[in-house]
Amino acid sequence: MSESSNEPGRAGRLPLVVGARGGGICVAAILAAVGALFAWQASLLDLGHVGLPGPGFFPLVLAIVVTALAIIIGVEHWRAPAGGEKVALFHRDVLIVMAASLAVPLVFSALGALLALGLFAVAILVIVGRVPLLLAIVAAAAFVATCWIMFEVLLGLQLPVGPF
Amino acid sequence: MESFHQLINGFAVALSWKGLLYCFIGCLWGTIVGVLPGLGPLAGMTLLLPLTFGLDPTIGIIMLTGIFYGAMYGGSTTSILVRIPGEAASVVTCIDGYEMAKQGRAGPALMIAAVGSFIGGSFSLLGLMFIAPPLAKLMIAIGPSVEVVLILLSLGVIAVVSPGSRIKTATMITLGLLVGTIGLDNITAVPRFTFGNPNLSGGLSFAALAIGLFGLSEILLNLENSQTIKAITPKLKDLVPRWKDIRDSSPAIARGSIIGFIFGIIPGVSHVVSTFVSYAVEKRFSKNPEEFGKGAIAGVAGPETANNAVTGTAMIPLLALGIPSIPATAILLSALTIHGVQPGPLLMTTRPEVFWGLVASMYIGNVILLVLNLPLVGLFVNLLRIPYNWLVPIIVIISIIGVYSVNSSVTDIWIMMISGCVGYVLRKFAYEMAPLLLALVLGDRLEGSFRLSLTMSGGDYATFVDRSAIIVLGSVLGLLLTIQASAWIFGYRKSLADEAEGA
Repeated sequence: MSESSNEPGRAGRLPLVVGARGGGICVAAILAAVGALFAWQASLLDLGHVGLPGPGFFPLVLAIVVTALAIIIGVEHWRAPAGGEKVALFHRDVLIVMAASLAVPLVFSALGALLALGLFAVAILVIVGRVPLLLAIVAAAAFVATCWIMFEVLLGLQLPVGPF
Repeated sequence: MESFHQLINGFAVALSWKGLLYCFIGCLWGTIVGVLPGLGPLAGMTLLLPLTFGLDPTIGIIMLTGIFYGAMYGGSTTSILVRIPGEAASVVTCIDGYEMAKQGRAGPALMIAAVGSFIGGSFSLLGLMFIAPPLAKLMIAIGPSVEVVLILLSLGVIAVVSPGSRIKTATMITLGLLVGTIGLDNITAVPRFTFGNPNLSGGLSFAALAIGLFGLSEILLNLENSQTIKAITPKLKDLVPRWKDIRDSSPAIARGSIIGFIFGIIPGVSHVVSTFVSYAVEKRFSKNPEEFGKGAIAGVAGPETANNAVTGTAMIPLLALGIPSIPATAILLSALTIHGVQPGPLLMTTRPEVFWGLVASMYIGNVILLVLNLPLVGLFVNLLRIPYNWLVPIIVIISIIGVYSVNSSVTDIWIMMISGCVGYVLRKFAYEMAPLLLALVLGDRLEGSFRLSLTMSGGDYATFVDRSAIIVLGSVLGLLLTIQASAWIFGYRKSLADEAEGA
């Protein structure tokens, strides 16, 4: 957890600071829940038997192990002294890049790849890179045009064109 | 003699203007993606995969392979000068490389890393040339039960050598194996965890997961520290190592070559693991283990040699058996298949120009990289002076296009983005991503071989211990796990005892 001791830089205006203990328990709980979900789904498949396992056997065993290990990790964190290390999560820039990245596949087909990626670039350059809007638009347009030449014209890759 | 004759023919292909040009492009791009945090050989190869579609298969493979070993070289530069591993295999180099740089010894660290990489890469090529055919026959003879033990051994080694919490590493390994079961069951074709989505039938895209978990999460983590990058740029005259450096690093280079060679040839074990193992071995063999972590040159020479020694031998199972041994060679397999070239035992007879052209180009590529990396180290470091926030959209956009180009699927972009966010959170809480990805690659084969072995033996588990080789491998694995379990139990009990004492 080396990151936990890092001083937030310029990007760190809005970090969510959580205790390593509480955060660790939460992450372990999520992992245990994922393991339990897989175990439940695997139990619906044909398990076969120990000698000749079916398609559900291997994932069921693995899911149970993941759940068990996650519970052990959670207990370890729970036993750790309270008020110890802190972990800074989701700095402003991180949140913005995450949100913008998750928006890309949403609009990738609808707007077309080049427009979607261009908007992504402008948003990141302006909000995270603090580049003036006009310069960001020019830079994004130039980069997207380069991508178009390189991937579509030269390499013949078919990217979604959207409504245009 | 036959091999030399074929090698000369291979050099004729590799030394053609096209061969040289695309080898250079591959090495240069590989070095760049190795230098830039968030891009590694996987992303670099995926991004340029479409470029090979219009090329002769030999030339295309020469370029992609150049990216692979170029990234190994490039990764060491930023590890030593900035303490940022350009790619996962350079993580270990950060430990002592950056300490050396802080002590004003960046030049010798870079020089030894480059020379070690060259020696490791060349050594593994000899293996590819001379040991591939008999070893291929031996590997063909290996049954699925041995493969199960080998894979478990690999995972056991990862659990031992990975940094951080062992139980978190074990969780990541198991999670990787579990995620690898998503998609159609290889034996019965029953869909598992697809929730009716046909895009998940083939499983989660490995390229999307790899770029998300490693690349995107790295970008997010680096955004938090974007002002802390301070590169140490050595002058060319400072590159010459001292006699003591050569003396200390020579045995490490020799051992690193062997370790990289072994790990490269074992299917499923990546270059990342070879660096951890090499570091652990050097620390064990060192007369001054306390120097490790404080600028020991053997801690740079061993891992850097090992990760380059992997590149040659990793080609053996791919080219001789048609089995990719590490993720990067899986991309090479895709490229070869796209070009209608089927890697396997017949490759050397049906398409010798592909095999020997590749071998020859790797010799040339190693020389290109040696020439490229040392004098131009300042240029590559300057890439890091570009504000990181400006690089983010460039890296993400190229990654998106690269991931999309493999299957033309928006689902893959979703997988990349979501796994990037998940990877960021997990890494903040000290979960390692490399064991997860490695287990993901191995999981399919582990399950397939496990079930096939049981089917062949009629459900008799003794099939896993009925050969001396298996017993030896199993014993090593058992020993590793026992040591690991003892260490964990001892540490756990000790902490309980300390707590009780404190109370």
